[in-house]
Amino acid sequence: MLSVDRRWLYLILFVNIVIFLLAPLRMPASISPPVQKFYDEIEKLQPGDLVMISSNWSASTLAENQPQLEAVITHLMRKQARFTIISIEAQSRDISYRLAERITKEKGYQYGEQWAHFGFVPNLAVAIKGMVTDLPNTIKQDVRGIEVTKLPVVQGVKSLSDYKMIIDVTPSGTVPVWISYSPKNVKILYCPTSVMAAEAYTYLDSGQIKGMITGAKGAQEYEQLLGIKGLGAPFANTISFSHLLIIFFILLGNFAMLMNRLQARREA
Amino acid sequence: MDWLQAFLPLNLERLSVWIGVLCTLAIYSLLYRENPIYRFFEHMYIGLAAGYSLGPLGVDILYRYWIEPIWIQGYWAWAFVVPYGMYLYFIFSERYGWISRIVIGTLIGASAGLFFQEFSSRYLPQLNSTLQKPLWVSDANPDLTYGMIINNILFVIILLSVLTYFTFSYEQRGPVKRVAIWGRWFLMIGLGAIFGNTVMARMALLIGRIYYLLNDWLMIRVGGG
Repeated sequence: MLSVDRRWLYLILFVNIVIFLLAPLRMPASISPPVQKFYDEIEKLQPGDLVMISSNWSASTLAENQPQLEAVITHLMRKQARFTIISIEAQSRDISYRLAERITKEKGYQYGEQWAHFGFVPNLAVAIKGMVTDLPNTIKQDVRGIEVTKLPVVQGVKSLSDYKMIIDVTPSGTVPVWISYSPKNVKILYCPTSVMAAEAYTYLDSGQIKGMITGAKGAQEYEQLLGIKGLGAPFANTISFSHLLIIFFILLGNFAMLMNRLQARREA
Repeated sequence: MDWLQAFLPLNLERLSVWIGVLCTLAIYSLLYRENPIYRFFEHMYIGLAAGYSLGPLGVDILYRYWIEPIWIQGYWAWAFVVPYGMYLYFIFSERYGWISRIVIGTLIGASAGLFFQEFSSRYLPQLNSTLQKPLWVSDANPDLTYGMIINNILFVIILLSVLTYFTFSYEQRGPVKRVAIWGRWFLMIGLGAIFGNTVMARMALLIGRIYYLLNDWLMIRVGGG
């Protein structure tokens, strides 16, 4: 058994993922406290409140960040909140813009009136400090080339302090930068990939971030809270069953190694 | 027949999806064995990612923040900014390398200034939160449950033992060494949790790519939806 070609294991894992992605299976998830806090914070928003979404993910972390961003935008639209998106990742500028455009069009949310995309900024710390001092002069134009001062969604907005909330959807370590330089009256919510989540619990514990959606699993919980059918549930279910398969492989490998040793000892 | 027509790369949008699929399969061909197709696509991907970033940098940054203010708004002083930044490249010259140090000095000064704010905003609230953790019920915190008290006590024990582990100023002996060993165990548990999350994240990457093959290429709805 120990001489099994590892490529067979890859093939089995691939088939396993395809099966569980296609299966109409939506297992219920227990809601974790960070996700519940995230939901409660957005529930507190009033119609017209302004939210900044920092979207910094690209195609590589689509399975985790896309369901998060979809769920968050859906919730913001449900609360009739205004939102703007900004990216410090060049690829994310286009990906988040296309995604937001698709979701907002489905719900009749107007670009420029209720939401806008500020495009790409290369240095987050400098951009945040600029936005705190003078937002229109820092951003200048949106992704469509319209001057920020002419966008009704941010009419009268002078600084990042005029926002109610910042939501960071990211696979990178950007949330410490938001925590460090954004105004203290603006709440920060966090949507990291699973690999980044463990480090963020210190910020959650100290109240520097008010809620967190961890990877596809967190998105599944959030979709359940919202009562929508998104990608979080099929992705999280597939991850769970892939983990089970990997655990089975590990046990099988250890069992085979143990049997080999026992046999060798008997022969000796 | 309609499905086949929508599936084939007959328009630009579908062609881009087919190219994406070709790239995905070429990269994953490494799992079968090392091959020149994988190498070619790996290099192409790195070049594409770098080239793609140049587009937004040119349009969103250089044009918006440098060219436009100079040519349209007349802020001519900005014309010196980019050449000043480019002095950094004198680092490759033995004779004029000292010029690059001026730019490096500016960058270090700016970073140090930013770090003052970062430290106070990022770490002081954590210290404050740690010191404020109640370890017993009193009039000041009547809503405290036993679960929260146990959690807070555990937090303080773990914090102190991990800090002890990272104390290198003197030789750790006796009870201090035992506390440090506990600190190491707590660290291992923490790192194990991080590694578990890493496995989950890596699995999600694979799922993301397979989702692309199913949803975007084969046009099969995921999750039975």
